[in-house]
Amino acid sequence: MNPAPKISLRGVSKSFKGRKVLDNINMEILPGESHIVIGLSGAGKSVLLKCILGLLKPDSGTILINGENWFNLPIEVKLQRMACVGVLFQGSALFDSMPVWENVAFVLRRQGMHKPEARDRADEVLEWVGLPGIGDKMPAELSGGMKKRVGMARTICHRPEIIFYDEPLAGLDPVMSDVITTLMKRLHERMNVTSMTIAHSMKLVHEFSDRVSMLYKGRVYQQMSRDEIELSQDPVFRQFIEGRAEGPIQLTNGKEAS
Amino acid sequence: MQLLQRIGAMVMNLSSALGLYPLLLNKVISRLRKPPWFPRLILRECEMVGVQSLPVVLLTAIFTGMVLALQSWVAFHRFGAESMIATVVSLSMLRELGPVLVGLMVAGRVGASFAAELGTMRVSEQIDALWTLSTDPVRYLVIPRMLAAMLMMPLLVMLADAIGMAGGYFISIHALDQNPHTYIVHSFDYLELIDLYSGLFKAMVFGAIIGLVSCAEGYYCEGGAAGVGKATTRAVVVSAMSILIADYILTAWIFK
Repeated sequence: MNPAPKISLRGVSKSFKGRKVLDNINMEILPGESHIVIGLSGAGKSVLLKCILGLLKPDSGTILINGENWFNLPIEVKLQRMACVGVLFQGSALFDSMPVWENVAFVLRRQGMHKPEARDRADEVLEWVGLPGIGDKMPAELSGGMKKRVGMARTICHRPEIIFYDEPLAGLDPVMSDVITTLMKRLHERMNVTSMTIAHSMKLVHEFSDRVSMLYKGRVYQQMSRDEIELSQDPVFRQFIEGRAEGPIQLTNGKEAS
Repeated sequence: MQLLQRIGAMVMNLSSALGLYPLLLNKVISRLRKPPWFPRLILRECEMVGVQSLPVVLLTAIFTGMVLALQSWVAFHRFGAESMIATVVSLSMLRELGPVLVGLMVAGRVGASFAAELGTMRVSEQIDALWTLSTDPVRYLVIPRMLAAMLMMPLLVMLADAIGMAGGYFISIHALDQNPHTYIVHSFDYLELIDLYSGLFKAMVFGAIIGLVSCAEGYYCEGGAAGVGKATTRAVVVSAMSILIADYILTAWIFK
């Protein structure tokens, strides 16, 4: 028998100004699984992530995290539940007004941990992501790759059970992409976290995923394990993973036609 | 038909834009009942709103007091009633000019800063990040700013009133040859406590308007850097206009 899913989406739909961005999405992510959601730009991947995180309210459908529908909870309880979640944002989303260590230890400080202890923990995690001794720097002093790693440190500092990565390799050079991928893999192995990643990079899919979902025209078009990717003969899926302009995917102004 | 569509779209845009303020106000009020209230952040914002606004506010106040004394002298000289300059300066500063001018200055300086700061945090996903880090962005970002604006505005207005009256005194004594003793007596003899209190009450309301409008514009900002620019402009314009409208309503209500 399969264990209860960590994240479960049932019939989730979301529209903006009459345009259906998510259309009846069904998805389950099991404990310890690394699930990657791929799809063209504008396919609704980020909207899906925001719905799961409670940043957007779906028009219909249910989202369960650890078997619980967070949308029905009072805001204070919802925020308490968020402690089991970590999110690495595409642009890192570090707080400009705080030094790096305070960014990393933000949740710990909010949970009441004393400053010296939180600082030690932040330094420890910064060292783990390969950035020792930068705790007193401000985010503006860091490069894109360093910001991403600080974002990663902030994501894991409070030891979440579920991690969401929003385009973790976007805007990084190949070397830094490899560093971040390695960190994600190490984290997955060491802490046995459940993760959901929004990605375009097929390299990341091959190296990091257990299962893959492809969003197309607002729906889950394909869902398969990593080993099944190369076996798929679906023309839309193949066009996407091979990165070809010619094929059945219709593009309008650089985005898929829906 | 096209005209009707355009009018309909304009009404929709206006109502959705104005709807932001009650939406945020509702969120703020519903959260004020329970902690956490982040006292440190409130203090930091008080420093930003109050202490850092002092130079611009005091400079505005002193020159306003000086100009008011000069202009009043021109009018009163024609009737030989120059001794009333002091009363006009003190009454005008306390009841109207103090709160309104400080409100407009703070709307320009602090309102723009609130909207730009929150708008940048919105478009760079920092507000979303706060939520995912178990922190309510309304409590953490909006409430401290609104409270700071409401608390600091009356204090700034008190100082502006004093400095404005001092400016009027300086010009009247040194440039218009008024008697210092008479000037001081006339400055306070015709004042009532309601003149001071009404100004301070107005200041608090203006502080709430600045805090609410500029935080709402920043908090609900969208559209990248251009969106932040538009939100900042709207925050200043809407705050300034709202202050002037609220001033009339409050004046009519208080002195009816």
